[in-house]
Amino acid sequence: MHDIIIAILRSGTPLIYVTLAAVIAQRAGIWHLGLEGLMIVGACATILTIVATGSVFIALCVAIVLCVLMSILFWFVVEKLKANQIIAGLGLTGLGLGGTAFAVEAIFGTQAAVSAEFGLPRIGPMFGSYGVLSILVVLMPVCVIFMWVLLRRTRFGLRLAASGEHPFAARSVGVRTDLMRLAALMIGGVLCAIGGAELAAGSLQIFSQNMTAGRGFMAFTAAIFGAGQPIGATLAAVFFAVVGAAGIRAQLVFGDRVPHDLLLGLPYIATIFGIWLSAKLRGGTKAVTGFGELRDS
Amino acid sequence: MTRKSNIETGFDRRTVLKISAGVAVAGLAGALSSSIAQAADGIVALVHTQAAGDNGPVDSMIAKLKQLASEKGLTYRAIYAQDPATYETIFRTLGEAGASVVVSTFNEVAVPIKAVAPDFPDTKWIQLFGDAFEPPMPNVVTVSYDYYLGCYLSGIYAAGVSKTGKLGFIGGISIPPINADFNAFKAGAQSVNPDITATAAFAGSFQDPAKGQEIASQMFSDGIDYIQTDAAATDAGIIAAANEMEGRMVSALDPAQFDLGPKSLIAIVGLDFGASLYNEVTKALGPDFAGGQHVSTGLGTGVIDFKLSPVFTAKGPADIIAKSDKTWPDVEKARAAILDGSLKVPFNTAL
Repeated sequence: MHDIIIAILRSGTPLIYVTLAAVIAQRAGIWHLGLEGLMIVGACATILTIVATGSVFIALCVAIVLCVLMSILFWFVVEKLKANQIIAGLGLTGLGLGGTAFAVEAIFGTQAAVSAEFGLPRIGPMFGSYGVLSILVVLMPVCVIFMWVLLRRTRFGLRLAASGEHPFAARSVGVRTDLMRLAALMIGGVLCAIGGAELAAGSLQIFSQNMTAGRGFMAFTAAIFGAGQPIGATLAAVFFAVVGAAGIRAQLVFGDRVPHDLLLGLPYIATIFGIWLSAKLRGGTKAVTGFGELRDS
Repeated sequence: MTRKSNIETGFDRRTVLKISAGVAVAGLAGALSSSIAQAADGIVALVHTQAAGDNGPVDSMIAKLKQLASEKGLTYRAIYAQDPATYETIFRTLGEAGASVVVSTFNEVAVPIKAVAPDFPDTKWIQLFGDAFEPPMPNVVTVSYDYYLGCYLSGIYAAGVSKTGKLGFIGGISIPPINADFNAFKAGAQSVNPDITATAAFAGSFQDPAKGQEIASQMFSDGIDYIQTDAAATDAGIIAAANEMEGRMVSALDPAQFDLGPKSLIAIVGLDFGASLYNEVTKALGPDFAGGQHVSTGLGTGVIDFKLSPVFTAKGPADIIAKSDKTWPDVEKARAAILDGSLKVPFNTAL
């Protein structure tokens, strides 16, 4: 049982951090499809910097700075150049996936996977079998609660939601909606960097091309599944991690009787069912759409 | 202010951006086609359908291609074709650019090669890890690998070194050749001990080390102590899971992986794609090219073999090394029997 919980925490933690980035972007009125790109940049920067400097702290700082810079670029393209959010987000993802492959080849002269001698600090043997988890796993619930307070119990959170849903109204009371979106994307950049760092250096200590394997898009889905609320989206991300682990368990238990392709598809079937159920339980209450009235300049 | 400026210039900001983007895309396309055209004389291209960075097949092919190009003074291109919809376009572009040899990998490129090769008879096409074409094409060579034979040897070895009698197999995706690898692995183990169990699981991707780690962790917690991998870049996560506790063993794919698990990566079922590419391209560039042929590569060719890790042999736990030494003659015996034809390993693709 402990092994299953550890597996869920390991696979769920990077997803939760990136899901929180999707939530804050969505509340600011931005459909953020660049999460995958930011996450892989966070993963790549963390491992390459650990290899180069031997410092996890510097590695996290570099990852955060790069992801925040890319988030500012995304904001500039979407907000100032009025580019389509979906296209710009996909472009950011392409930039991240291609840019990291290019960086590895430019630095090491090969496209091979890069492994670091150590990764993020573990919580240690005093926690028994959970000691293999990284400190970012422990910080994750704190981060979720912080985001809930920030978005639901602060003036900033209210203004952010207003900037996303009703920018006219927000501007009429003096809110700079463009700067609110910039702040949201920058916070999201920090979260994506941490999510990428946890994915690559939490237990693997490896960076390989495309290693995010669609997790940025799963985080985007979790934010929708969770109705754009930090707690709800976190639970959705945990649900994805649970069905992922259950899919593996199903392969190991039923793999000799049921086709593996069907078992591999179970998490996706469960996800579709879960989204449908979640919409039903909300009784038609609309999630934060994020569309707002953005193009009103 | 913006509107006034639009009236004066006749262009709004979006139009300017659209035109700029169009010019940039056109420029990029022009630069790429110009680059290929300039290198057309003697260009050898590798179109790989899995990403580089796997410490395995793709990396070794690119390395050997670079070596070959350096030795023969050729221009080479390594192109990652991620989207199957682009395969035919890429092949046609290379054909139109006058490439002398185009190498590509795995079964998914068979149909695009069949569509393009007849239009470019002067280009020699090589498909690595593919089935024979029916009917054969005079400028196409297909190469298949009897990797399952190496997996059979791994199964024999696993049965000898495993303490729990529980074995695992993690593949990238469930496709017939990988299913056959699992069945051969299981058959090899059960030829030593019929009571031994072998469990298969698939990551659904060849590029997801985190998923590989999740699957391997669950397998190890179920008492499995030896995992045969067949998952390219996903292998890194499987090895990472094995590194978390002594006594966990992994057999992977490529010698470049030895250092990833000094005390866990016990062996490899080596498939040297790089050597195979080197051999086939060398033949294609010389007078020995025999188009229309299918080359089947198995044990004893230098391309496929089951090998122990020298790093593990030096640093691994003493009790496992002792078991390994005791088991190795059985592996050698089975290899010899396969080579002389007295042992037939079934190629079973059903799971």
